[in-house]
Amino acid sequence: MRVTDTYKFGSWLLVLFTLTAPWVLPLLVDSFWVDIYSEILIWSLLAASVNLLLGYVGLLSFGQALFFGFGMYGVAIGVVKFDLGFWSAFIFGISLATGMAAIAGSLAVRLTWHYFAIITVVFSLIFYFTALSWKPITGGDDGLPFTIPPIISFGDYKLTMTNANFQYFFIVTIVGACYWLMYRVINSPLGRAFVTVRENDARAALIGLNVYLIRLTAFIFAGFIAGVAGALFALFGRYASASYMFYHVSGEAVVWAIIGGVGTLFGPIVGTGLMIVLREELSSVWDHYLLLVGVAVILTVIFAPRGIGGAFKALAEKIARQQFSRKESGP
Amino acid sequence: MTMIELRDLNAHYGKVHVLQGVNLHVGHGESVALLGRNGVGKTTTLKAIMGLVRPTGGSVFFDGREISKLRPYQIPRAGVGYVPQGRGIFPMLSVEDNLFVGLSKRPPQDIIDYIFDRFPRLRERLKQSGGTLSGGEQQMLAIARCLVMQPKLIILDEPTEGIMPILVKEIRREIDAVRKTGVSILLVEQNIKTALSLCSRVYLMEKGLIAHEASSTDLEKDSDTLHRFLGVDV
Repeated sequence: MRVTDTYKFGSWLLVLFTLTAPWVLPLLVDSFWVDIYSEILIWSLLAASVNLLLGYVGLLSFGQALFFGFGMYGVAIGVVKFDLGFWSAFIFGISLATGMAAIAGSLAVRLTWHYFAIITVVFSLIFYFTALSWKPITGGDDGLPFTIPPIISFGDYKLTMTNANFQYFFIVTIVGACYWLMYRVINSPLGRAFVTVRENDARAALIGLNVYLIRLTAFIFAGFIAGVAGALFALFGRYASASYMFYHVSGEAVVWAIIGGVGTLFGPIVGTGLMIVLREELSSVWDHYLLLVGVAVILTVIFAPRGIGGAFKALAEKIARQQFSRKESGP
Repeated sequence: MTMIELRDLNAHYGKVHVLQGVNLHVGHGESVALLGRNGVGKTTTLKAIMGLVRPTGGSVFFDGREISKLRPYQIPRAGVGYVPQGRGIFPMLSVEDNLFVGLSKRPPQDIIDYIFDRFPRLRERLKQSGGTLSGGEQQMLAIARCLVMQPKLIILDEPTEGIMPILVKEIRREIDAVRKTGVSILLVEQNIKTALSLCSRVYLMEKGLIAHEASSTDLEKDSDTLHRFLGVDV
């Protein structure tokens, strides 16, 4: 099997599992795992937004939860305060997150390395505390619950996310569209420009690439993806809360991305899936399960710095090489 | 007509005054070498031209336009190609991506054909990642990448450093071919023979200043000067 075939096989397996999960998971484990899997898909977008920055332009952001929060509050405020419909609120949330990413990014991407990481945390904290204290708009500590408007309504007929299967496939469609978009961008000339900036920003400038603009584009795109995740999570949970804007949430996304494998498209899903399943299984039996998460990160960074996705890629390449050399030395 | 002119160019690394008023020029279609011992400021001069080191005084005129205030990415777009020391390709990108990633659109087919005729090894390795090429091939890629941008001036920083002798010849031949197309060249080179054979004029640098200027033919015979500034004989 060639390396590309192995990737294709893995990707198709993931797609097949995702499309059949509402029926397969209840048979194998329990129906509440369908919701967990929905959650994994949504959160994987937040990890993917970290991955876009860290894996493709080499910027470590600890502030992606800010855009997640903006997406989330955008939907909730849109529904509760502006009486928006489903799609308008969804688009409002994503636009708010993307706009915020443009503002924060225009300042943040002037910096790199730890300065960049620090400024992203600072941004995140400013808006976290603002959301906590601005009770009339954000609901403060209590958050902002809302009743989900129908997706489509024709007279008496209303299609809403209260239908579990419909909700699941709505999430799958949006998350799938985001991954498709990321795939297109990563494999476009812009994606290659991202890689040049990650590898060596001075060299990138020497061939006429505007490093600032490339970093800003990546930052806004990552903010958009985090915003979609936040907007979806608001619709999934029917509320918005400042706690999801805390930098601790951004830190979790960084962990998921690293464990899944930065610089690989589907790494974030794998990392997020693994860590959320671990949390679901262990947190009820052991309070200090986060210790295990810490150990897992340390082991990953030391032994598989490119994460599970990277290790899988390396293994597939090794198998392909062995098969190739066997063929070469064969009769 | 001058292609590039450095007027009293100064640069500092912190408190260290590295360039202390460099004056030099390269004419249209001319090839000029900048020579000197290690640490005299040759690479810093090139970096200051490219905007990678901000000049603290003086100016750089390229094709009649002041470029020292431009941002680094605007300088190659203005027509200055730079092949940095140690190749400077992107190892993770394919040869093809390395060639075209800096361009907003693919160059005309005749330019592409010209590049691949000059560097057939690159055509053979188009889909291979840059990092898997040999040192000499990477250097060819760096030069080819510079050429696809159709520069008016190419600046090369020690292009034959650490390259197999057989490929040094090939690279020298390619630089000479570029020179003959009328592109101006500013070359920093440790290999004096290469520099003198490729360039018609030479600047010798010492302690952040241009200390001597001569034609290659004159310098070749002037062993005293060569010995004094470079510590070598040709």
